[in-house]
Amino acid sequence: MKNPYYPIDTILEDVISETPTIKTFCLKPAKPIKFKAGQFMQLTVPGVGEAPFTPSSDPNIEEKMEISILKTGKVTDALHELKPGAVVGLRGPFGKGYPLEKLAGKDVLVVGGGVGLAPMRSLLYALFNDPSKYKKIEIKFGAREPAELSFRRQYKEWEGLASNISLKTTIDVAHPDWDGHVGLVTTLLDDLDVSVPESYALSCGPEIMLKFVTLKLLEVGFTPPQIYLSMNRKMSCGMGKCGRCNVGHYYLCVDGPDMCYDKIKDVPNVFG
Amino acid sequence: MRFIDSTDFEKLLKKLSAEGELFVPVKEEDTGKLHMRRVESFPLPDGTVFDGFRAVETLKGFAQHLRFEVAQYPSEEKDELKPEDSFPGYVIVGAKGCDLKAMELVDSVQAEGDYIDPFYKIRRDRMLVIASDCSECSESCFCNLTGSNPWPEKGYDLAIAKVASGFLVEEGSERGAGIIEENGGLFSEVREGLEKTRDENRKKVLSQLKANNKSYPESAEVTEPLRKMLNDEIWTEEASRCVECGACTNICPTCYCFLLFDQKDGEQYKRIMSWDSCQVSGYSRMAGMGTPRPRLSDRVKHRFYHKYDYLPLSHNAVFCTGCGRCIDACSASIDMREVFSKVVTKATR
Repeated sequence: MKNPYYPIDTILEDVISETPTIKTFCLKPAKPIKFKAGQFMQLTVPGVGEAPFTPSSDPNIEEKMEISILKTGKVTDALHELKPGAVVGLRGPFGKGYPLEKLAGKDVLVVGGGVGLAPMRSLLYALFNDPSKYKKIEIKFGAREPAELSFRRQYKEWEGLASNISLKTTIDVAHPDWDGHVGLVTTLLDDLDVSVPESYALSCGPEIMLKFVTLKLLEVGFTPPQIYLSMNRKMSCGMGKCGRCNVGHYYLCVDGPDMCYDKIKDVPNVFG
Repeated sequence: MRFIDSTDFEKLLKKLSAEGELFVPVKEEDTGKLHMRRVESFPLPDGTVFDGFRAVETLKGFAQHLRFEVAQYPSEEKDELKPEDSFPGYVIVGAKGCDLKAMELVDSVQAEGDYIDPFYKIRRDRMLVIASDCSECSESCFCNLTGSNPWPEKGYDLAIAKVASGFLVEEGSERGAGIIEENGGLFSEVREGLEKTRDENRKKVLSQLKANNKSYPESAEVTEPLRKMLNDEIWTEEASRCVECGACTNICPTCYCFLLFDQKDGEQYKRIMSWDSCQVSGYSRMAGMGTPRPRLSDRVKHRFYHKYDYLPLSHNAVFCTGCGRCIDACSASIDMREVFSKVVTKATR
């Protein structure tokens, strides 16, 4: 019988600073790990513990994996101290992943904020695998300040991949180094270039952002079944057994972590 | 159905003790409560009781240990878990109807579906269960409200009911049938009238349960009213008494939640699994200190909703078998039956 609690030995090959608080950890597990965009991994820092993260890398690559992580707690503090060559552990993947099959032939709206851009990058890699499968891929990224926008070095390249891809960015408040759009990411949803009835929206970010993105999407005509949200809960076992990641009767680790808003809209205080 | 004399039953247990660690319910003199005790030598300990009502300890604790190591790392290819790495097996005597039902519910989480917990599964597969009829009930027992009964119905290898100078024995599995067959000499035909005696005992206990719980709602009638009470002040009222000790969840035979944490051990690291409680504030806390249930009332409420609303939706069953342990254990005297009475009354007002 397989022991699902055993972490696969994994070499930390490289660390890329994305922002002052976010680093991308480039990992090589002892055996290839196949994952779908949106599924998550449990990443172990030996002796410190494990925490759940959705990879930010291309799901078509199994030998290596990148995970972009905000320094924000015990495990992530320890991770940010690690240097290339360190050994960590991986378990997973867990969860359902993004509903890519539903997105074919549709306008796809991708809304990310802060470190929420990390799982979104993995989704984008999956979409960019064949952009022609989708009518449009409209990306809206926001961050507190310019330096907090992850993956900026890649934006131009992504926009140039196909004519149906567009990317807009915003920062929360005006900043001397920024001459682009200013305002919360919801302000980028005011003039959407998608056909709302033929669209799906996928969003990842802090819960407060998810709440206002959802309200805005409903306001511009999206229905709850068209909205997918990467919900935030403490996920530990990854298998629907340890109990702590529930949203109503769903366990995010097996039913999510990306949940169709239609399923969870009646859960009280769903956004905390 | 067969009959076995008390002396022969002890002989049978002595023989079965070779198949795993033997546990029997033993009455503690000062408290009068039954505790599951390991039997390492015979005769059976003074105070061994095979009828009575459920012991303080649950069956769950045998399948899901309080705290144990689930992995060591880094190491090479240790993710294959061999059964011999694990446990010798258990022979558990005196499990009651409420605990058998609870085990069936926890099995549906830990040992079924896409992911199976191998540690739990091995312990369950190696657990020989000899269940027994209740001959009485406690003030806190309410199995009759949850669709269970104070006698074994399924989920056992053998079931015994105390009558005359011994026990009526029924087989509930192939393993149980094999035990009766292999030890044929210890068993005899059931004398006329004994089955009737057992049925009268059962009727007596059930009517006592019904009398004790006559003012409380049945579990099946709780879920719908509960769904209307999500934002009611009742949860703040109940929480005002709760001391957040987690006893209710630790003592519960269907509470299965656990915590994984890592420890250093020389050059190696160990991953430990430990019971956890949704009643304590750190249970769902994430990095950055956010938690979906910051108030005690959110957490008190969660216990009731998880068992009576969420699990019926995800696992098709109310996860409560009316054992009443949470009522006995609560230092704030929170009684689930009374909470649900209030819920039903308020929701239907």
